[in-house]
Amino acid sequence: MNGEDQDVEAVRARAKSLLAALRGVCGDDEVREAKACVERLRDQRDYELMGRLAEAVSRRDPKDATNRRLYAQYLIDTGHVTAAVDLLQPLARRVPKGDKELAEVTGLLGRAHKQIFFDAGDKSAVGARDALKHAVAMYRAEYERDRKNTWHGVNLVALLTRGRAFGSRVAQDLDARTIAQEVIANLDERDPWRLPTLAEASLGLGDWDIVDRNVHEYVTAKGTTAFQVASTLRQFTEVWDLEREGERGRALVDMLRAKLMRLPGGVVRLEPAELQRLRQQEVPYEGRLEAILGTYGAQTYQWWKTGVERAASVAAVRQKMGGRMGTAFLVRAGDLQREPADELLVLTNYHVVNAESAHGGIRPEEAEVVFEAADANKVYGVAELLWSSPPERHDASLLRLGAPVTGVAPLPIATTLPVIDDAARVYIIGHPGGRDLAFSFQDNELIDHEGAPTGKPGTEGVCRVHYRAPTEGGSSGSPVFNSRLWQVIALHHMGGKIGVRKLNGKEGTYGANEGIAMHSIVAAMKG
Amino acid sequence: MAHVTFVHGIANKPPPADLLRIWREALANASDALPLGDLGVTSELVYWADLLYEKPDDNVAAHEGVLENTPEALDGGGGAPPPTPRSAEEAAFLEALRGRMTSLSDAEIEAAPPAIPGSPQGTLERVPLPWFLKKPIMNTFLRDVHHYLFDVEFAPPGRTPMPIQRTIRERFVTALGSPQVTRPHVVISHSMGTVIAYDCLKRVAECSGVDGLITLGSPLGLDEVQDKLQPGWSRPDGFPHDKVAGGWTNLYDRLDPVCGFDPELANDYRRGSAAVVADIAVQNDGAWRHSTTKYLRQPRLIAALREMLQIR
Repeated sequence: MNGEDQDVEAVRARAKSLLAALRGVCGDDEVREAKACVERLRDQRDYELMGRLAEAVSRRDPKDATNRRLYAQYLIDTGHVTAAVDLLQPLARRVPKGDKELAEVTGLLGRAHKQIFFDAGDKSAVGARDALKHAVAMYRAEYERDRKNTWHGVNLVALLTRGRAFGSRVAQDLDARTIAQEVIANLDERDPWRLPTLAEASLGLGDWDIVDRNVHEYVTAKGTTAFQVASTLRQFTEVWDLEREGERGRALVDMLRAKLMRLPGGVVRLEPAELQRLRQQEVPYEGRLEAILGTYGAQTYQWWKTGVERAASVAAVRQKMGGRMGTAFLVRAGDLQREPADELLVLTNYHVVNAESAHGGIRPEEAEVVFEAADANKVYGVAELLWSSPPERHDASLLRLGAPVTGVAPLPIATTLPVIDDAARVYIIGHPGGRDLAFSFQDNELIDHEGAPTGKPGTEGVCRVHYRAPTEGGSSGSPVFNSRLWQVIALHHMGGKIGVRKLNGKEGTYGANEGIAMHSIVAAMKG
Repeated sequence: MAHVTFVHGIANKPPPADLLRIWREALANASDALPLGDLGVTSELVYWADLLYEKPDDNVAAHEGVLENTPEALDGGGGAPPPTPRSAEEAAFLEALRGRMTSLSDAEIEAAPPAIPGSPQGTLERVPLPWFLKKPIMNTFLRDVHHYLFDVEFAPPGRTPMPIQRTIRERFVTALGSPQVTRPHVVISHSMGTVIAYDCLKRVAECSGVDGLITLGSPLGLDEVQDKLQPGWSRPDGFPHDKVAGGWTNLYDRLDPVCGFDPELANDYRRGSAAVVADIAVQNDGAWRHSTTKYLRQPRLIAALREMLQIR
């Protein structure tokens, strides 16, 4: 586990103990620490725990404006935007003028209204127009009060530009381009958000060369985090809607996704339709890839495109007439040392599909398989369960589908596990928690495995792999890929659990995802 | 499983973990990507910059083979002064080696006009770079090679002097004998690292054997260097056959100043008088052709390494 991930776990652990303390008898020091902890949970996007702790702090100290504002931020980030507005409006009236918290509260109110506007399907509806008007007013008030409030300024630029594209006549006395130039001129060198703000403000200038140059400076800067790039991506797609702004905008967004996936803790979620579009999207010319992503830009982008292609071979396992049960992926029989070698089969977890309907799984005849990134309307039945191994061993089931799969390539299988070192990463493509139809590309730190050269399998014939992502678990039956070649190294079977016993005879437990190495599954199939 | 041991060359370097990461990234980002970690290939770096430089270079980005605007980015970082010869033999060695890089005297270098944009100084020299970059490279090259080949007792300020050659040899021998090593085992060396690798594989009895040797931008073709590798080296029997079970591939760029005028090694490191070293001419991009990462990204390097590691 690297230092960053250790910090994440440490914050979570401390938050939980503070939560317990706040429910019982505790002193001012613990309340103070809990307040700081809420902010740290926000920074690591641990919203569920953040909300619980903010609620607990609010019961102890309901007048703490910063905690109430963070609580509102939790509400916005979890989709409870109008509740956040109800919380923020009286707070904005209560915070004294001149208190620096007022700029934050007002800005967050702007953000809540902005979210309502951009979420609205009909931007001309009264509710959407009102939301835009309020959002502009909030950001404008703080920006005009102090031009150093550049994050308010850059949001004002976005709202004016995008609002006018939707036909809005709000704040006609303001010129978005002028504000963008002011924001860029007023950026503080020490502000950790300087580069993301600069990149976004550049969009308001309407000059793609400047945008490219500033995005390049931002994404290649030492210290740029997955959190920052994810935030920028959200702004570029949800607010600026760059993917509808022609080829250049689409390419820029996709390059940001590629960059995000290369950063520790990067997660990209895409709807099946988006994935289908990305598969068709033209590759930007090499000069622009390097101009934005740096020396290895072309390679980084090609790597991301390969990942997108791999997603087409990842399928949802559904219960007929029911919901999603898990994930599966297409493999070539020959890669599993089975005949006929060119037959395409599907691998998933035993606890997703098995003959006995055991461990919460469904029987093969109840299951259907859909490759949503390839063709969401084509549903395959399961003809036969060819092989299975229970959860305490390989947790795997190999399925023959009812019809030949066309238009989808089998995933390549790695013949060896990656070397474990500080930089080792693995990627999962799946549907975390089965909560929606989105694909999740998720970067994980490779922690340990029981493979060569030093691994010692705890169960004979079973080689386990441990990896962890900062925030996400789930995705039963997903392929786990090595970091550069997108070859499947393991079948994911257990996600996001804490208290997982360490491998190779090491003492203790940790929070980890677990997969079963493909080479041990292949060996078990051979018998 | 397989293993790669890297050996770096002249000048100060970033901390060992960063340098190893940069080199592995270069292989992983080649057009025919060879991500060692994904392929289960372990790797280690024989790091010796700490013996000659006070602290690692914290400007890690300068070593990624992209920038060409500072001595650090051009294998000239660390501020090494020109070495002071302790004998006539050392003086002759240094003068000859210096002659490989420039024909100008120190006074002429000092008097050289400042660089004119678009028209780098020294275009007619072996290193077509302005002197503010070229001079530290030359000093570093002379100092580091001299201290190794003459086993100078040296330490950065505040530390106990160590015999440079013996200490680096120990590190190389330890790395090759490490329990982490699996076969096939390939050594990839760059610049002065090629001299270290050759010296140990040919001349240090207790050094473990390897399955393949790759040299990049090597000065091993220079007569001055070869003279200092005796006893051990000879033209008809220079190949380290007792310790290198497989092949030796040597990559060079004709504009790489460290290789000098003699970048090919097959003629000088024969095996039973037969030329067996595979000399491969490549063309690195940019002005600085000696860059490790540029060599590591070369398709022919990747192909040779794949074959040695037995990776399809």
